[in-house]
Amino acid sequence: MLFSCKIGAQAGAGVMVTGRMMAKCFTRGGYNVVAYPEYPSLVRGGHNVVEVLASNEDIHSPTQKCDLVIALNRDAVFYHKDFVNKGGVILYDEELDISAFKLPSGIKAVPVPLMKLINQSGGIAKMKNTVALACAFALIDYPFEIFASVIEDEFRRKGDDIVKKNVEAAKAGYEHVKQNNGNFQHKLKAISNKRKMLISGNEAVALGAVAGGMKFYSAYPMTPASSILHYLFANERKFNIVVKQTEDEIAAMNYATGASFAGARSMTGTSGGGFALMVEALGMAALAEAPIVAALVQRVGPSTGMPTWTEQADLKFALNASQGEFLRVVIAPGDMEECFYQSAEAFNLAEKYQLPVIIISDKFLAETFFSCERFDEKKVKIDRGKIIEDLPILEPNTRYKRYALSKDGVSPRVFPGTPNGMHVGTSYTHDETGFSTESFIMRTKQVDKRASKIKGLLKDLPAPKLYGPKKADVTLICWGSHKLPALDSLKLLEDAGVKANVLHFSFLFPLNKEKVAKALSGSGKTVMLENNSTGQFAGVLKEYCDFEPDFLLLKYDGRQFFAEQIAEEVSKLSAKKFKGDKEIRISEKEDLEYYNPQRHGL
Amino acid sequence: MTVTINDFNVKEKMQWCPGCGNFGLIASLKGAMADLGLKQHETVVVSGIGCSSKLPHYVNTYGFESIHGRGLPVASAIKLANTDLNVVAVGGDGDGYGIGVQHFIHIMRRNYDLTYIVHNNQIYGLTTGQASPTSQLGMKTKTTPWGVVEEPFRPLTVAINGGATFVARGFVGDPGHLKELMKTAIAHKGFSFIDVFQPCVTFNKLNTYPWFQERVYKLEDSGHDSTSKSAALSKAMEGEKTDYKKVPIGVFYKTDKPTYESTLPQIKDTPLAKQKLEIDLSKAYEEME
Repeated sequence: MLFSCKIGAQAGAGVMVTGRMMAKCFTRGGYNVVAYPEYPSLVRGGHNVVEVLASNEDIHSPTQKCDLVIALNRDAVFYHKDFVNKGGVILYDEELDISAFKLPSGIKAVPVPLMKLINQSGGIAKMKNTVALACAFALIDYPFEIFASVIEDEFRRKGDDIVKKNVEAAKAGYEHVKQNNGNFQHKLKAISNKRKMLISGNEAVALGAVAGGMKFYSAYPMTPASSILHYLFANERKFNIVVKQTEDEIAAMNYATGASFAGARSMTGTSGGGFALMVEALGMAALAEAPIVAALVQRVGPSTGMPTWTEQADLKFALNASQGEFLRVVIAPGDMEECFYQSAEAFNLAEKYQLPVIIISDKFLAETFFSCERFDEKKVKIDRGKIIEDLPILEPNTRYKRYALSKDGVSPRVFPGTPNGMHVGTSYTHDETGFSTESFIMRTKQVDKRASKIKGLLKDLPAPKLYGPKKADVTLICWGSHKLPALDSLKLLEDAGVKANVLHFSFLFPLNKEKVAKALSGSGKTVMLENNSTGQFAGVLKEYCDFEPDFLLLKYDGRQFFAEQIAEEVSKLSAKKFKGDKEIRISEKEDLEYYNPQRHGL
Repeated sequence: MTVTINDFNVKEKMQWCPGCGNFGLIASLKGAMADLGLKQHETVVVSGIGCSSKLPHYVNTYGFESIHGRGLPVASAIKLANTDLNVVAVGGDGDGYGIGVQHFIHIMRRNYDLTYIVHNNQIYGLTTGQASPTSQLGMKTKTTPWGVVEEPFRPLTVAINGGATFVARGFVGDPGHLKELMKTAIAHKGFSFIDVFQPCVTFNKLNTYPWFQERVYKLEDSGHDSTSKSAALSKAMEGEKTDYKKVPIGVFYKTDKPTYESTLPQIKDTPLAKQKLEIDLSKAYEEME
């Protein structure tokens, strides 16, 4: 059973909170839940929507179509009416005149008198979203107590009176629909009262970082990375960490490097434009061998691009950012558990190998909420690598060999405050003590020292992971967030008679050719899906693993792939016996732009 | 064991032009550190890039030579990560007033407990003689062949207005005075800033040692009230206003404000870098349920 509801309203009307409340209600009722927001880069005006999906089976990604639309403005009816499953309902505020819109057949429009219900219960206009949600819950027969408990948690900090008034207004809405609109095909009962979390990708990365011992986070606000900053700030005293909003991203990366040099596990986070500003300091961190972790939450580029939409087009940027040659690790978590555990692991890798680690995610993964079991921070084993605290007395006027040549490329760190450990961290090519040098021989030795860390890394970094049957006719290859729709497409493909599995890469760089070859050995026809226009990871696989997929499926319109789209394209390939163009480009068919409702005559 | 100035020396040769003002500056800095009894391993000297930014290599403390203009953010984070450390940031006028000026403006709003010393030679040295933000109007350089037409950047007025809690100017031609200024600055609780006249003997033929020696005088000899913002601002503009007939050095402005670090309860007892990393997250999970 899968139930999907879209809640739509004008930007600024609080629909993000409303969507999360509905998602929390389903999570508390024992369902697997996804809450996926779409919104334009505007504070007021434009159209906002959250799609909330609840299922008693596994669910990983949003769907194109839904069963219920909660329309808090006319635009919501216009935007979503053509994406409602047969038998579905559009629940709308009766004050809205929607007569201009022609609803597809098999869809019912149900008006509800939101303002009247609010007035009857003694509430205020602000409670419209609450009442509308209550109407929706009544329509699907979902227990009111669960909603009341979520209202209580959501509004508690605003005081008992606000909680009480919201619950009363909700009750009025719930009873109104119970009495007047009984007949809807979807009925949802609570299936379990076991508590689960509702968490977004950014929050899971933030929590994972804290579990991994992060003590310092510096960043400049940038969509869609900002919620990492918000979450960490809200909890900095609880977590005993210092969070710093800096004057720009240049400062953010330099702060992270400084904190790392002083001995704190440190991190920064941004999106592509901000990362562009961090690039020079990224190279400095690498040369000074100051371990740092950077979250690069991708959005549509180049330049300002489409700030609130998603893409996977910064991979090659992350791999090549900054002048010169240096080793870095790039990790792309694909779900909430991976966001948590891989972010924690990023700090171990950064410190063990004394290099930058980039966690690359995207708007889709970062801002979508998922129901999820609690993580276990005790499973995170903190490994700080080589750190020395007791040092022999130095000869007068000499310094510690912080960059001592070593076989595995890793020289023991000391932190300021440690006696006899004085040295200079520097952005210049340096000798073993950190002193600037232009010696050809030392230069070559230091480059080789840093590069030799790759041997240990290649052993440590895990292989790509296979999901679904071991043997299949089609293997979908993907990275990062696209595990989610790929997994959901497996069932659709099975229904269409195509046996498929998914090979997902989280550890994108460096790549262990043998591990990758082994993971690919059982593949069927390979279809690589990437949310960009050039197949960036396909290029990386070709360069480092000499592998080329049979087909490359690309989408770069600002939305991630939907499972339906993957299934459709792969089914078509199967029907054509896998003949035809190697490169397949798709985009959304309907061009409903949220930024400018006026363009649609709204 | 007492620290002596010799402890702060390194074996490596200082690679500055003969006669460079940096020699005087570093001698004053090492003297100030020794006089204050700073421990080598508890002190971090941070810089950007430029002639003067090579300084951390020549002081035997911990050091970090960052990239052009970025000494201040690196220094800020070192202090935040370990408040037990003495942090001194150094850099040049191009580094701090040009490419990195945003960090200068913002660090003053924060009042971290650290010291920032700018070697101000009014020229770009390491890149061989271009105009800097503090080059005097009319001065001819490689990038101003017809003379500087841009108003000079005014570090002292910017600092006094920007919220710095200690603002001073020194001159390397008077190393004893400069050392005392540095001692007061390092001992100051909060963000202390010293702009230092430091002649570039190779590329600045206008603002030379004799040029300064004829013009500078000490504020402490003139009855200046360093608690008065308006007096400080007026003194900061005196050089320009008198067509550089009288250029004051000394402490222009000093006030007390809580440091940024003191507002953070999470580092009140133990510096960040010394805290344990393991954490119980059950409350965080609960809030998400």
